[in-house]
Amino acid sequence: MAVSLRVERLSFPLGTFLLHIDALKFEAGRLTTIVGPNGAGKTTLLKCLGGLFPVPKGHIFIQDMDIASLKASERARLTSYVPQEHNPTFNYSVLDFVLMGRAAYLSLFSLPSEEDVRLAEEALDFVGLQSYASRPYFELSSGERRLILIARSLAQSADILLLDEPTSFLDPKHETEVLDMARKLAAERGHTVLLTLHNLDMAVKYSDSLVFMKGGGVFASGKPQDVLSDALLESVYDVKMRIVDYEGRKLILR
Amino acid sequence: MSGSRTRKDILLFWGALLLPLVVFIISLNIGSYPISPRMLVKVILSVFSPSSQPGIPAALKDIVFQIRLPRLLLAVAVGASLAVSGASLQALFKNPLVNEYILGISSGSAFGAAVSLVFLGKGFPPQAAAFVFGIAAVLGVLIISRAAGSHIVALLLTGVIVSAFFSSLLALVEFFASPYALQALFYWLMGNMSLATWKDLAYSVPLMALGVILLVMLRWRMNVLSMSDEEAKAMGVSVRRDKILVIVACTLATASATAVTGIIGWIGLVVPHLVRMTAGVDNRRVLPLSVSLGASFLLAADALTRSLASFEIPLGIFTSLIGIPFFLFLLKKSRRVWL
Repeated sequence: MAVSLRVERLSFPLGTFLLHIDALKFEAGRLTTIVGPNGAGKTTLLKCLGGLFPVPKGHIFIQDMDIASLKASERARLTSYVPQEHNPTFNYSVLDFVLMGRAAYLSLFSLPSEEDVRLAEEALDFVGLQSYASRPYFELSSGERRLILIARSLAQSADILLLDEPTSFLDPKHETEVLDMARKLAAERGHTVLLTLHNLDMAVKYSDSLVFMKGGGVFASGKPQDVLSDALLESVYDVKMRIVDYEGRKLILR
Repeated sequence: MSGSRTRKDILLFWGALLLPLVVFIISLNIGSYPISPRMLVKVILSVFSPSSQPGIPAALKDIVFQIRLPRLLLAVAVGASLAVSGASLQALFKNPLVNEYILGISSGSAFGAAVSLVFLGKGFPPQAAAFVFGIAAVLGVLIISRAAGSHIVALLLTGVIVSAFFSSLLALVEFFASPYALQALFYWLMGNMSLATWKDLAYSVPLMALGVILLVMLRWRMNVLSMSDEEAKAMGVSVRRDKILVIVACTLATASATAVTGIIGWIGLVVPHLVRMTAGVDNRRVLPLSVSLGASFLLAADALTRSLASFEIPLGIFTSLIGIPFFLFLLKKSRRVWL
């Protein structure tokens, strides 16, 4: 059962920056990519949706639940924010790392149960790295780390997944791998997946819908084939771009 | 660990449980008046059935029950407290270099002890003021860092600042102190357990135990808290609440330990690192093992201070003196980063 995510009249200041969104809806069980220039507010939006910023009540809804009125653990069971690659201080084993995704289901003093371990292993399995369980996290490549982060997020069993630039610094092969995974999460498991990306070709290829952001607001949104135009790209990015059709795919030249 | 226990785990578990016990029993024999194991058994039996063990001198009983036993029990509690607090704060601050005194407990306590010794005289135990000011220093850190949203870096920085503030105050008090008060103060600052009494234990050990038990119970949560605050939050943890709880538990344990024994350095740094090197970084193992290894380490160090020379080397100085080269040795031997 897929759940939708909705933003209404959100105004969220962050220093001198203001994120301002009148209305935006993310379809249940679909993959939506948020694109736009640096500083457009993509990550801020994702973090607001993930409950990482203290958004006041009445602006962000999962189905009809206001996320601002949920406890941290309740919210984390519904939505999961996946950060960009990071370097933790301690070298946990991959399984211990993925197991942390179960925190929202475990009270302060409890330890993960066999069932939690099973769910973590299942998540590892889904990203195809089940044989990595006892490997130290520090030994993984960037691409593997992204997949492990996604696995940890899956162990969280949240319907909505928010992936912040999941492909930055990845080579084409690993970029494809991660995006295929994101696609699979929406298509096979019914997750509502939100990505931020810089690679427009990939965004067009993989997304059910696109959200263009600029200056803290939504510039345009919709299905790639409906919304994409040379003029839109130029006004969002301030760079001349051209969309060409190549064997049924849209490629963006600049 | 995938739930199923490997052989290494079982070995670690029993080793961890038995080590402090073994060191404890050996330590009971050691001191300026050595007692042979056989005699020790007799002394202990004489308490339970005085008639079966005639001719045990009362002085011997006093050495075992009034001097050595409270001292060793204190060593267990203090060693465990300092080590597990160090391990917990390293996880919480995501920084392997912080120690149990990072939030200003040592300088706060030192200042408290100084004020007590200098202005209230030797008749008044310095422990009370040391405890109060140890806590006050941490409260100061928490309140000041709130302005920056209790961010981890803000906590670390205010810890440094508050420590420096209390160190200056300490210097000021020392400036006005009489030579006699200074002597007592320096003795306190060097850390020692030679004057431990059952009374000291009665009010400090329960507080230490409470702190240690809380931290050990939080062991898995500590894994999640060792991720960035943002990640922990994204995984559904109430980061601020948990952070405060860990700090409160560490403060209880460390402040009450420091108040009774003075400043004993390096335990909270050496022990957790040794544990991570041998057992990995999962706090489900690091914290319980730090408890038992910390207890063993301080018991052994204390036994050495009692037996190495004809006089007692102050424990705090001793732990630093053996802690530092030991640490360098580990670093060289492992030739890799174990974190």
